[in-house]
Amino acid sequence: MLDVIEPILFGVLALAIVGAAAGVVLADRVTTSALLMAFTFLNMAGMFVLLGAETIAAFQVLIYVGAITVLILYGVMFTPQAPRAYGLFFQKQTPAGALIAALAGLPVMVIAFAFRDTANIPPRGGDLVPLASSIFTDFAFPFEVASVLLLAAMVGAIVLVKREERGSGSAGPNDTTSPEHSRAKPVIGRARE
Amino acid sequence: MAPGPFGIDPTIWAALRLLIAVVLALFLILNGALLLIYLERKVQAAMQDRVGPYHVGPWGLLQTFADALKLIAKEDFRAGQTDAAFFIAAPALVFTPMLASLVVLPFGPSIVGADLNIGLLYLATLGSMGVLGIVIAGWASNNKYSLVGGLRSAAQLISYEVPGILSLVTAVLVTGSLSMVKITETQPGPFTNIFIIPLAFATYFIAALAETNRTPFDLPEAESELVAGYLTEYSGMRWGTMLALTEYGNVTVVCGIMATLWFGGWNGSGIDSGPITGPLLGLLWFTLKTYAFILVFMWVRATLPRLRIDQLMTFCWKVLIPLTLLNLAVTATLLIAFPDTRVPVAIANWLLLGAFLVGIPMLQERRLRRIRERLRAATRHAVAAG
Amino acid sequence: MTTLVPLGAFIALSAALFFIGMAGVLVRRNAVVILMCVELMLNAANLALVAFSRRLGLIDERGSVFVVFVFVIAAAEVAVGLAIVLALYRNRPTVDVDEVREMKG
Repeated sequence: MLDVIEPILFGVLALAIVGAAAGVVLADRVTTSALLMAFTFLNMAGMFVLLGAETIAAFQVLIYVGAITVLILYGVMFTPQAPRAYGLFFQKQTPAGALIAALAGLPVMVIAFAFRDTANIPPRGGDLVPLASSIFTDFAFPFEVASVLLLAAMVGAIVLVKREERGSGSAGPNDTTSPEHSRAKPVIGRARE
Repeated sequence: MAPGPFGIDPTIWAALRLLIAVVLALFLILNGALLLIYLERKVQAAMQDRVGPYHVGPWGLLQTFADALKLIAKEDFRAGQTDAAFFIAAPALVFTPMLASLVVLPFGPSIVGADLNIGLLYLATLGSMGVLGIVIAGWASNNKYSLVGGLRSAAQLISYEVPGILSLVTAVLVTGSLSMVKITETQPGPFTNIFIIPLAFATYFIAALAETNRTPFDLPEAESELVAGYLTEYSGMRWGTMLALTEYGNVTVVCGIMATLWFGGWNGSGIDSGPITGPLLGLLWFTLKTYAFILVFMWVRATLPRLRIDQLMTFCWKVLIPLTLLNLAVTATLLIAFPDTRVPVAIANWLLLGAFLVGIPMLQERRLRRIRERLRAATRHAVAAG
Repeated sequence: MTTLVPLGAFIALSAALFFIGMAGVLVRRNAVVILMCVELMLNAANLALVAFSRRLGLIDERGSVFVVFVFVIAAAEVAVGLAIVLALYRNRPTVDVDEVREMKG
């Protein structure tokens, strides 16, 4: 029974993914793009479940829909742009860009069907234990490096968006708690001069 | 695939089971919310030395029915400039992950929607999906107070996910499985996980209070803050869904998680007594434990004042996250050093819990003293200057 | 086995998603939308990795391990990318990449 449902589910999910991705590129409002991107991520999680990688599907939703989409929505809401005509959303090289993407994409999509899967496919849903064992034994060093990368990204993002604050008017001369006493000015603020 | 009862075709039986499960889950949430709203009002009233609703029905039992009818009958009002699609979609986006989390809660010995082997990860995932609906609700209301309220609520939710998930990971280290059913099965006796990892329970309790927007972390939904935050423009059943149903559903799920991970879930006396009475008794034990925690949530709501947004974020990032990380590191180290026994982990956890309970008031006292001294010095300056 | 979805279908879908994302990066002006299209490309790569890992019978789910690292990197990249976009927006209130061309030769 599952054999019949699987191609149908794949077809539905694939259509949803491609349609939503096209929507991300073509939508006129940024918020619509952001939500269609979240929809793409959800359908990708469904695709991972179809492949039998349930843990990866859970991580996909947790990280992409739960965190990255919220980050992008924050970015969208803090950078409001005046509404413009639809044609102004695309750069001058739009026809060239679309042509290149299509010309490069279609042959790859056709060649992709030459791949064939083997006979011994791992059982559905059994991917948690091998994945966890691999990460913490064979790939423990990249795991630690990834955590350092996340720390660096976190610190970098915080430094980049810190506001340059002038000393507040009510602080007296002995007040050592104002911001300018306790940290250096961010470099990005100097770019103007 | 097994054929269904009366020899129904397996495909149809699977689809029918899905339908029955969704209907049951909706039934559970709607009636649970009904019961919990009434319970909350009565419990709050009892703690505040008043009576609560008593007009509608005996002891006011039908009060929530009346409220729900009123909400459904309200005019479907939508402010003109709000974005239609997002405004209407936001309550659904907030409600659906909560409904989907009921699938993996182990209600009884064979009463569980789906025994996923990543059950706890699935619950954490759905908890993080609820943030999206709140941001969209705040944005779609076309009201700058709603937007700021929605973003603040999202910041609170994503901040408190971290200590919550870290506490769950600590519990998983001790139980050894992510599947909710297996976690319940590893705690058969009276010595459930609460005796081994109480600090993880305490931190998860606090994180759960913040994740479900309950007092003392209910800044996003308080009526006096930012004109009710992201809920300002919602009225009628939209408000009912976003606030009442989702919040009480989330509270039920989170208390169910606590009951399963630290108190043995459906374990209790009389589980093995028979094919019908066993599961029913298990269901009873699970429900009793969950509702005990829900009552504690309501007790906390009646007792503690609300935290400001900066106090709540400071508490999360400077207190809870280092504490949960320390707990995780210590538990993991002790589990590797002494792989056969849980006693060192238990000792370390109780010590850390004691340090937390004693240390936080001490640090606060010191901070308060420093602030008072600075204030005294500043007033002395001002008085001396003129 | 014959009614299962063939591996080529997953790879073709991954390629389609990747090239749609690439078209988005080349075509759109808004910096945040460009970031979103980069995320689409990363997702396409993830799909290809998981499909190969599950369907070619690789041991120990190594493709999925790589996918976990791609998740980490994508999250870090979005955070820093958005920080840069916000800092840019603060200096001049635009996120239009066609208007930020002081370094163009």
